[in-house]
Amino acid sequence: MAGTLVTIFLGVAFGFSLNKAGLTKYHKIVNVFRFTDMAVLKFMMTALVVAMSGLYILRGFGLVTFPNIPATYIVGNLVGGLIFGIGMALTGF
Amino acid sequence: MKFILNYIRKETWSPYVAGILLGIVGILAVLITNSLLGASGAFENLAGMIGKVLAPTTFDNMYFNFIMPPGISAGVILLIGVFFGGLIGAATSRTLKWGKKDSANSDKQWKMIFGRQTWKRWLLAFFGAIILEYAAGIAGGCTSGLAISGGMLLAPAAFLFIAGMFASGIATALIIYRRRY
Repeated sequence: MAGTLVTIFLGVAFGFSLNKAGLTKYHKIVNVFRFTDMAVLKFMMTALVVAMSGLYILRGFGLVTFPNIPATYIVGNLVGGLIFGIGMALTGF
Repeated sequence: MKFILNYIRKETWSPYVAGILLGIVGILAVLITNSLLGASGAFENLAGMIGKVLAPTTFDNMYFNFIMPPGISAGVILLIGVFFGGLIGAATSRTLKWGKKDSANSDKQWKMIFGRQTWKRWLLAFFGAIILEYAAGIAGGCTSGLAISGGMLLAPAAFLFIAGMFASGIATALIIYRRRY
């Protein structure tokens, strides 16, 4: 139960940050592919840098163990990404 | 204090501030629940649940038995939270368009490119979402589940995915916008 509440809270914070960054809007998503508004990229890379440095520092102190790292299968990841981009540019997800 | 409240009411934050917030959420997810954030997996869990009831033999395969077991997973619960998080975000910036005119198709740029009919927006969103979910199934995650959550663990899969996503996204945008690119 406590785990469920934490998960919901994390989801709320996740949705809130996506909304405030403007990623819920079609034009924000498409304009990153047109190089006219790089907000999506700035948002994604900031999140990545904060999370990756935070997590690796925590692991360095032995405070956290990583969950399963997403599997690498080069063709699948790349082809999936290629199809995903088409959908992303069409719908603005 | 007042500055913080005013900032929360802003419609669009600096992407750096929102990114730091998401980064902290990502760290907390690993630290507390020992799992990664993700969106696309939850739809597969739900689809598997419906499929097992409607067509048990079709859904009795490797993928739905082992890779994406059906049921109310943590991802589904997270997705419910994401819905309300987005709702709160829109409510605090007073851009919540619940029931208002044009609320289903309010993006100016979309109207300029595809036309102002609402059904077009919904139709394209529906088929685009099928493409998205299919691709996420192949790659093993979506923007949040693979690119951001995988990237923060320095998974090579995430960076391959980001490269593919941008390559085809730029190509698709070029085709849609042509001279207006």
